Amino acid sequence: MSKKIYELVDKLPKGGITVMALKSLDKFVPGQWDNLVGFDHTIKTVTGETDPAMVQAIGERAITLFNDKGEGYQRALWLYQTVDSASGMLGTAALANRIGQDTFLGFLKNITPKPEKAQTIDLSVKLVTEIVAFCHINGIPGDSLGDFLKSLGDYSGESIMRMAALVAFDGVIPLGAEFSTKVLSSIKGMGPSDLDKNRTFKGVKDAIPGNDSKGKLAFMTESFESTKGWMDKFVAEKGITQSGVVDGLSRFIEGSQSKLDYLGAFLDISVKYYEHTGIQTLARRLIERAVAEL
Amino acid sequence: MLPTRWLRRLAPMLVCLVLFMTACSSAPNKYDQVQKDTTGFGKPAAVSKDAQKGGTFNQFFPKGEGDYDLVPSQEKKGFAAYKLNKNGSTVATLSINDTTSLPAAAAKYSSATDTVAGYPSVNQGTTATGLLVNGRYQVKVLSRDTSFSQADRVDWLQKFDLKGLAELEVAANKSSDIKQASKLNAPPTLNPVLQPAA
Repeated sequence: MSKKIYELVDKLPKGGITVMALKSLDKFVPGQWDNLVGFDHTIKTVTGETDPAMVQAIGERAITLFNDKGEGYQRALWLYQTVDSASGMLGTAALANRIGQDTFLGFLKNITPKPEKAQTIDLSVKLVTEIVAFCHINGIPGDSLGDFLKSLGDYSGESIMRMAALVAFDGVIPLGAEFSTKVLSSIKGMGPSDLDKNRTFKGVKDAIPGNDSKGKLAFMTESFESTKGWMDKFVAEKGITQSGVVDGLSRFIEGSQSKLDYLGAFLDISVKYYEHTGIQTLARRLIERAVAEL
Repeated sequence: MLPTRWLRRLAPMLVCLVLFMTACSSAPNKYDQVQKDTTGFGKPAAVSKDAQKGGTFNQFFPKGEGDYDLVPSQEKKGFAAYKLNKNGSTVATLSINDTTSLPAAAAKYSSATDTVAGYPSVNQGTTATGLLVNGRYQVKVLSRDTSFSQADRVDWLQKFDLKGLAELEVAANKSSDIKQASKLNAPPTLNPVLQPAA
C-alpha cells in the first residue's frame, strides 16, 4: 500500500535522539530549523493560511501530487528513507564489530581502516542522494546550469539542517575537520568493487546516475568534487569543529567526548536525520506547489 | 424465542467487537478520502499529459532588481516557481501553472471583479493574488513574509511578461493540433535525468 504523506508528517517525532541531535546543531545554523510536525500545521506555517477550507484544499492537492508516482515525490521519499536505514546498518555492523572485538576502551586503540573507508562511501552516497532527491522533488529549475546551482545553493530551513548534519555527523565526527580532502582522495583511489561491497551504496545504487558501478563512482566523485568547496566554506563559516559538535551532543549522550569512534557508530544507528528532515522538505515543497497551483 | 434471547445476548458482544476493531484501526483522517481517490488502479494523474512543459514558463518570469533576487525553486510539468528573496530572505513565491491539470483553478476567475494588466485577477486566502492569462495560465504571487503586502503582489504580477505568456497559448493551441495527430508518437514524460556535473 502506498505511504500516506499526511500520516508520515503527522507522525514525525517531536523529541527523541534524532530531534535532540539535530537541535544540538542549532548553534551552527541558528534559527534555521524548528522541527515542523503535523501536516495541517506545516500547511499553515508554510503558507500563512488559516482558513480551514483553504488548508484542506491545499492538503488535498499536495496529497494528489505526492500519490502520482510520475511526479517523483515518492522516489525522493524512498531515497531519504533508504539512505538512512542502509547507513544505519553500517553503524550496527561497525558497533557490533567493535563490541565483539574488545573492551570499550580497547576498541578506541584499534581503529582499523575499514570503517573509515565505509564512512567515506557513506558520506559520498548521502551527498549524491541529496542531489538526486532534490531533482526528483524540484525538477531541474531554471534555464541554465547556473540557475540550477543557484537553486541548490538557496537551501534553508530543514534542508540546510540536513546538510549541517551530513557535514557534522558523517564528516567531521568520524573523519575529522579535514574530512572533505580525506574523502575525495580516498574515493579517487577506489574501484567499483569497493562500492559494490558497501551497504549504503547498495541500498540506493539504482537511483544514482551511471550505467554501472564504475559510472556511478565517477558521478559520485564528480559530485563530491564540485560540492567540496561548498562544504569547506560551510564548515569554516559556521565554525563547525569536532569538539563543538561533540560538546552539543554530550548534553544528552554521556561521555561522548572520549569515545568519538563509538559516537559515530551510535549516531549512525540512532539518528535518522535524512528521513526526518527529508519528509519535512518533501511536505514543504508539495505544499508550496499545491498552494500555487490551486 | 430462543434465537431472540440469544440475539439479545449476542448484540452487545457484537457491538463491543465492532467498537474494539474500529479502535484498533487508525482513527479516520480528513484526508483519507482524497488518499483513496488518488491511489490504486485507474486513479487520475495529478498532472494532465497536455500540460505545458514547466521549463517553457521560465522566460516569462520577472528578473531580479535592486535588493530583490529571483531564485528558481521548482520546475515540473505544468508548473514553475521562483523564490523572491530580499537581502537573502524569502519574501514571496512567484509561480505560473497550466490549469489544464486543475480546471477549478481557472474556474474561480470567472467571477473575478478585479483585473491586473487587463487580466482577471483574484485574491485567494490572505496571502495569494493571482491572474489568469487566456483562460489557461495562472500567474500567482504568494506572500511569504508579512511585510509583503497585497499591493506588492499586484506590483510583482505586472512584472511578468504576461503578453509573452498570452502568445504562448496561441502557439500551444496550434501545436496541440499537431500533437493530437501524432499523439502515439509523443515521447513519454520522463523524470529529470541527471547528467554528471561538468
